[in-house]
Amino acid sequence: MSEENIKVRVTNLTKKFGDLLVLDDISFDVKQGEFLCIVGPTGCGKTTFLNSLTKLYDLTAGEILINGEPVDLKKHNIAYILQEYSAFPWLTVEENIKYGLKIKKFSAEEIQKRADEVIEMVGLKDYLSYYPDQLSASMLQRVVIARAFAVQPELLLMDEPYGQLDVSLRFKLEDELIRLWKKTGTTVIFITHNIEEAVYLSERILVLTNKPTKIKKEINNPLPRPRDVTAEDFVAIRNHVTDLIKWW
Amino acid sequence: MKKKFVGEKAEKTIYAILAIATFFLAWAFITTFTAAKETTPGPIEVLKLLVTSFFQPIGRYTVYGHLYYSIRRVLIGYTVATVLGIIVGLSMGTSRYAEAIIKPIFEMIRPIPPIAWIPLVILWFGVGELPKYAIIFIGSFTNVTLNAYTGAQRVDPTLVGCARMLGTSERDIFLRVILPSSMPQIFAGMQVALSTAWMAVLAAEMIGAQEGCGWIILRGSDTTNIPLVLVGMVIIGVVGLFLATIMRMAERKVCAWNRMDV
Repeated sequence: MSEENIKVRVTNLTKKFGDLLVLDDISFDVKQGEFLCIVGPTGCGKTTFLNSLTKLYDLTAGEILINGEPVDLKKHNIAYILQEYSAFPWLTVEENIKYGLKIKKFSAEEIQKRADEVIEMVGLKDYLSYYPDQLSASMLQRVVIARAFAVQPELLLMDEPYGQLDVSLRFKLEDELIRLWKKTGTTVIFITHNIEEAVYLSERILVLTNKPTKIKKEINNPLPRPRDVTAEDFVAIRNHVTDLIKWW
Repeated sequence: MKKKFVGEKAEKTIYAILAIATFFLAWAFITTFTAAKETTPGPIEVLKLLVTSFFQPIGRYTVYGHLYYSIRRVLIGYTVATVLGIIVGLSMGTSRYAEAIIKPIFEMIRPIPPIAWIPLVILWFGVGELPKYAIIFIGSFTNVTLNAYTGAQRVDPTLVGCARMLGTSERDIFLRVILPSSMPQIFAGMQVALSTAWMAVLAAEMIGAQEGCGWIILRGSDTTNIPLVLVGMVIIGVVGLFLATIMRMAERKVCAWNRMDV
């Protein structure tokens, strides 16, 4: 991997909560425009990792660089999509989607233009004046995805964003995500415990160990798209990842 | 759906009218057929006095004048209490230091009734309008503050994290996340504070007042004119109800997002 192609560089990342070692000396790089999935057993510190990346937690040791610089949320354009519904309940769908653009002080025309684009992409056109309380789970998650894509993030972090959705909705939103990712060329770090989801979405998969968490293995995933979850090579990769994180 | 809503509204109104009518009937019954008639005036007598007081002054003013003074006192004391209460409450809810410093003092002062402050307030502000605003302020400040405090404490940390991630400054986190998220709680506090502000009117108008709804009650009490006392009580009740209704309408507008199921 050439140096200028690296979007995120994680070196010797270590995080302790008191005496409990959660992340143990993790190092890896993420390429510009790459779709990276991180999988691991439940409770292995996946979320701790993302929270360290976004500076919600202070690091115990190590370093995280974006474009070769330490993370600065004011400077780096990062969007974060969580499993919990995080649309602002007091804003309408449209206001939610425009929120990040307003914060970043884009011109009114630019805000409208970008909002219209993402609204079209996620199909929320008929619900602009609705409040989150009036929406279904999948629509809520679309609002959050639209809000994230509207700011055209250089880095998109997703923490089990579809964990609470049923299978058919998940498939739909996964395809939508791939479409948006291809269109925008943003770098995505996607955390999930769902192996099939990881193989379906990613270009590369990092498999984590149980606590204290290390990287167990890195798997390249060159399968052509659109992917077929029943295809032989798909199943082979899925089984391989499953074997790696099996604890039984 | 709409039809059902209208139906429910009409039903509620009917119940409200029935409840109030029953109250007045019970009052009339008790003051006509029981020993209470010796001491307590009935609704008709009070109503007559109320109606005349719109034309004939009680003391210096008719009811309009008294209403003007009381409403002005309540609104000034209450508005200052609301603004300061929101600021103090949200600061307590968002800053550990503010909480650690303000909360103990606050908890200590909170149980002291507004009336107890009268001597001090007179000493500080004399007997003009200022001490009256101060008493009403004291009567309403706590409720707004405590509710704003609870509201700020209950803000979903996920939302704060998301806002921060989208590059929101600390100032904007306060204005765009914590404040709107606390609004329903703040309104609940403002609603309670509005009633306690009216309760404090009586205490406020004990301070050298020559006018006001509280003063009407005090005047009636001093001259053992019980119908006059009741006229003062009825006026405070009705105006309080009126203001609370306006407040509820404002809440529906501001916190529309929080009432989706209503």
